[in-house]
Amino acid sequence: MIEVIGLSKRYGRLSALIDVSLRVNAGEMVVVLGPSGAGKSTLLRCINHLTEPSKGEVRIGGETVPRDRAGLRHVRSNIGMIFQDHNLVARMSVLKNVLAGRLARMPQMLSMLQIFRADDVRVALDCLKRVDLHERAWSRADRLSGGQQQRVGVARALAQEPRAILADEPVASLDPKTARIVLGDLKRAARDLDIAVLCNLHQVGFAREFADRVIGMHAGRIVFEGSPQALDAQTLARIYPGLEDSTAASANEKIENLRLAS
Amino acid sequence: MKHARHSFILGRPWQRRQWLQASAAFTLVATVLIWSAQDLQLSLRELIKGLPWMSDFVSRMLPPNWDFLGRLVRPVIETVHLAIWGALFAIVLALPLCFLAARNLSPNPLVFHAVRQVFNAARGINEIIFALIFVAAVGLGPFAGVLALSVHGAGMLGKFFAEAIEEVDPGPVEALRATGASALQVIVFAVLPQALPAWIAATLYRIEVNLRAATILGMVGAGGIGFELYSSLRLFQYEDTAMCVIVILAMVMTADYFSSRLRARILAR
Repeated sequence: MIEVIGLSKRYGRLSALIDVSLRVNAGEMVVVLGPSGAGKSTLLRCINHLTEPSKGEVRIGGETVPRDRAGLRHVRSNIGMIFQDHNLVARMSVLKNVLAGRLARMPQMLSMLQIFRADDVRVALDCLKRVDLHERAWSRADRLSGGQQQRVGVARALAQEPRAILADEPVASLDPKTARIVLGDLKRAARDLDIAVLCNLHQVGFAREFADRVIGMHAGRIVFEGSPQALDAQTLARIYPGLEDSTAASANEKIENLRLAS
Repeated sequence: MKHARHSFILGRPWQRRQWLQASAAFTLVATVLIWSAQDLQLSLRELIKGLPWMSDFVSRMLPPNWDFLGRLVRPVIETVHLAIWGALFAIVLALPLCFLAARNLSPNPLVFHAVRQVFNAARGINEIIFALIFVAAVGLGPFAGVLALSVHGAGMLGKFFAEAIEEVDPGPVEALRATGASALQVIVFAVLPQALPAWIAATLYRIEVNLRAATILGMVGAGGIGFELYSSLRLFQYEDTAMCVIVILAMVMTADYFSSRLRARILAR
């Protein structure tokens, strides 16, 4: 479970996040929609303190994220993160990239000598099986296609056996078909493994298809929260001002065009 | 045939002020170049006048004394050994420090600048100076040469290693930090795999440089083929000198051939 209470982030005079509160339950996939610069990435990065929030509190599974280094590392080990450009280590094997997700719970010295417990390897292989890539375990990560690499990114997050997963536009650079596979993997994992997933997306269509709940952000604030069915043209216009169109379908189209243009 | 119209485009069209600035800059550069040429007494006439003396000197080197080749076998082997161990010790010295000299990993700017300056000093001071110091310490012979190459090489490798670390893609580094991995684990699993090919390439290059440097070390009695080179020069045995030069050239070219092939393979992977 992810709980965010009154989170704010300022960069100098710019407010990236203003008093954001939300809650993602275990097993639930919540999609955050919003135009570029709305604060979606900042929100995610503040949750695991990759970016230090200016104000507010984050709780993962009821635990407050502590400020000291050891405590922070412990909490981070419970939060998987998936990035837009997957952030795999290109020259390392797929298996090792996934194993890297478990580093926090491994003995330091052994892990640095590249010695891994059989249990850790088994979990890593299981996670690869979940995204249907266990046959590529020994390939170098950069030999895989973009979509496959992102699925390895999902497997790395799952290998943490996390309570929460933060996905920052995980399908922004994938074609629609591959994107659906990745989001499907993510959604299934959330439900099967009882993980709270908070996922930033740019595609309203995918939000409708995969989200259990949708949060709309604009200019650092939450402007909508509700079921994906509630995403009508009016709501979209609130999230994406300047898109006051009569039908949601054409709004979708416009969003896609805007995205391609940006 | 029709004449096509052409435009000369370097960038945005210049205003009057920019033309003035450009011509001022041109004049300044030209003045500096002419002044420095005079200072250096550059003179094509002198060079042409001296051509006969050059050919005289070269003719005294010819033909190279092929019999001398046999005496060079030992020094060549020693030079190769020097190059290899000089590079190895340089790695040992540079490795623990290079992380501190990389902007993206250094704990604070003070440490970063301090270590950078240490590397600069090690690189800036000539091998020959280090060789003299180490000859005084451990006596004449190749060991002093190895030590000199190590310290000087550590300066170079340290800089190269640190720069390779700075060029690492920060994405995977952040990804591993986000999993709660420790700083050392992040280095081993995200930084090293990315920096390693550049490190190996730098090391190979250093071995090459060492081979060339080893020709100088002999001047102060710190081992290598340079000793034979300078003895032959001092004894006016220019045919022997020619042989030394040929052997050194062959060595450097061979090393360059193999290391550039190896480097290309490693970097391409």
